[in-house]
Amino acid sequence: MKRTPLTLTVGILLAIIFAVLLFTFQVRTTQVAVVTTFGKPTRSISEPGAYFKLPWPIQRVYYFDRLTQNLEDKFTQDFTADGRTLLTSVYVGWKISDPQEFFPRFAGGSVQAAENVLSGIVRSVKTATIGRHPFSDFISVSGGGTNFTAIEDEMLAGVRAQVEANQYGIEIEFLGIKKLGLPESVTEEVFKQMTSERQRLVQQLTSEGETLAAGIKSDANRRAAEIIAVAQGQANEIRGRGEAEAATALAKFQQNPELALFIFRLRAFEEALKGRSTLIFDRWPPFLDAFMGVTTNAPAR
Amino acid sequence: MNNHPHPEKERELPPETPLDPGSQALSEALRSSFAIVKVVMVALVVLFFASGFFQVGPQEQAIILRFGKPVGEGREALLGPGLHWSFPYPIDEHKKIPMTAQQQVRSTVGWYATTDVQEAAGTEPPAGPTLNPAVDGYVLTADGNIIHVRATLFYRIDDPIQYVLGFASASNVVQNALNSALVHTAARFRVDDILTRDVAGFRDALTQRVAELLEQWNVGVSVDHCEVQSRPPRQVGNAFDEVLKAEINRNNVLNEARSTANQTLSQAAAQAQSITNAAELERVQLVSELSSLAANFDRVLPEYRKNPQLFVERSLNETLRRALTNVEKWSVPPAIGGKTTETRIWLNRELPRSAPGAASTP
Repeated sequence: MKRTPLTLTVGILLAIIFAVLLFTFQVRTTQVAVVTTFGKPTRSISEPGAYFKLPWPIQRVYYFDRLTQNLEDKFTQDFTADGRTLLTSVYVGWKISDPQEFFPRFAGGSVQAAENVLSGIVRSVKTATIGRHPFSDFISVSGGGTNFTAIEDEMLAGVRAQVEANQYGIEIEFLGIKKLGLPESVTEEVFKQMTSERQRLVQQLTSEGETLAAGIKSDANRRAAEIIAVAQGQANEIRGRGEAEAATALAKFQQNPELALFIFRLRAFEEALKGRSTLIFDRWPPFLDAFMGVTTNAPAR
Repeated sequence: MNNHPHPEKERELPPETPLDPGSQALSEALRSSFAIVKVVMVALVVLFFASGFFQVGPQEQAIILRFGKPVGEGREALLGPGLHWSFPYPIDEHKKIPMTAQQQVRSTVGWYATTDVQEAAGTEPPAGPTLNPAVDGYVLTADGNIIHVRATLFYRIDDPIQYVLGFASASNVVQNALNSALVHTAARFRVDDILTRDVAGFRDALTQRVAELLEQWNVGVSVDHCEVQSRPPRQVGNAFDEVLKAEINRNNVLNEARSTANQTLSQAAAQAQSITNAAELERVQLVSELSSLAANFDRVLPEYRKNPQLFVERSLNETLRRALTNVEKWSVPPAIGGKTTETRIWLNRELPRSAPGAASTP
């Protein structure tokens, strides 16, 4: 009898554990769940925690990830509004929002099956959206990429609308164009175009350099001429100043212009005969008058 | 577990006397095996609770989920490195999050087909005439060019709960946000801006766009910085090199022109200096000469006034004597009797000679 309460407690505990296992289930924060009653989805749970249910044959719980799933679209070719071919690939983030809707729509609630359906939707929305925009909406300097963002938003809205209309129990979280490209044959054309543009740039740079260099040189020549002209002006001014200063001396000579003139002549004469010079007189110079008639070499001939 | 040995013992008690050795051995065996089972059971219970211990490494953190819900909010939910305990499985669960100080991803679009090994060894497959969209990545620039760009994004996990529990593969989401931003940003920059002229501008625009997308997509990370690498397609590499060369050449031509210009200007400055210096010299000479003449004039004026004739003769002779000392002098006699004479004089001889004879009269 001593052991009976213990046995009982253990028994009850086991029974409780068994019941808990049978009648409850827990949903993780990363999951959503749907409860089926005799195979029919009757309750969907999107909040994490522990929940009650009826045991197995009556109710069953199916779990799904509530994580955001990644869908990477294939790199496919479409036509823009102005008839150019463009390869695009988009990236979609989606998650199961309503397991009760999601579960019966796809075989066994398979994420793979949902992705197949979703990529079909994405593909058609993409084609339609690209067809509404000219090529220049995708690549352009102006607008700071707003056109590009607008295209992404338009695709997102399109996919969301279709998913909602079909009640897939899916929520599209985000969508972005992750790759842009051109058909392989077009790339060769682009390369040709790029090469010719580069050649144009080379020519532009070369001629620009020459023009600029010539400009620099002629500018320098002009400035040099200016500098010299200014210097000559200064020189004239200096000379003028010299003459003005000399004028005060000239006033002195006014006292006796005759003597002044005589002194100037003498000075000039003396200055002129500096260095090697030869004087030839056609007459006997007056300062030698004293010798006249005394001796002469004239009669020698 | 304890209720099993209990009935066994009760059954054993009444027939105490007729104990045959066989059944005695059996009961002994049962008794000891039950003892072992007990020990094992206790050990299992201890093990069950001990299994709640877990270790968090130096570069990770952990979150405890109680009945599927994270315990704690935001940063408080994080358990740092060390030993931790949670209730065992059905109640609690723990999830480890790798948390290096900085995470990084590299873009997967925008670069031609190559691998790091090939790149390091320089054995990249040669470029064909075209780019195959299936294998070769590239981006389109705003001016319709094709170039290769790749970026490495460095980011930190701000909200680990959102990062780990919100996405099937958060790093994949970050990577594709980077891809998308790369395509988006390249599509609004010109090829030359991306490659050379505005490299920093492109990088900043890219970083901003990634941050914007990650914010919008609510990934729970914050962008640290981006590293961008770009190059023209190998198919047109030569053409791009030519432009570079032309640019260098242009700079050389400009530098040359600048140095020529400097030379011209400094020459002009020197010439200007010499012009003004010469003028200055002339001025000084003129002034000093005249003033010395004036001084001389002052000195001789009284003498001249006494007897002009005498003064003139005297100073004339004095000057002639002084001036004609080193001068060769020739006197050609006047034509006699109206006859014309031709006189030849050899001027500028090498050396002045004392003996006359160079003159000849026919």
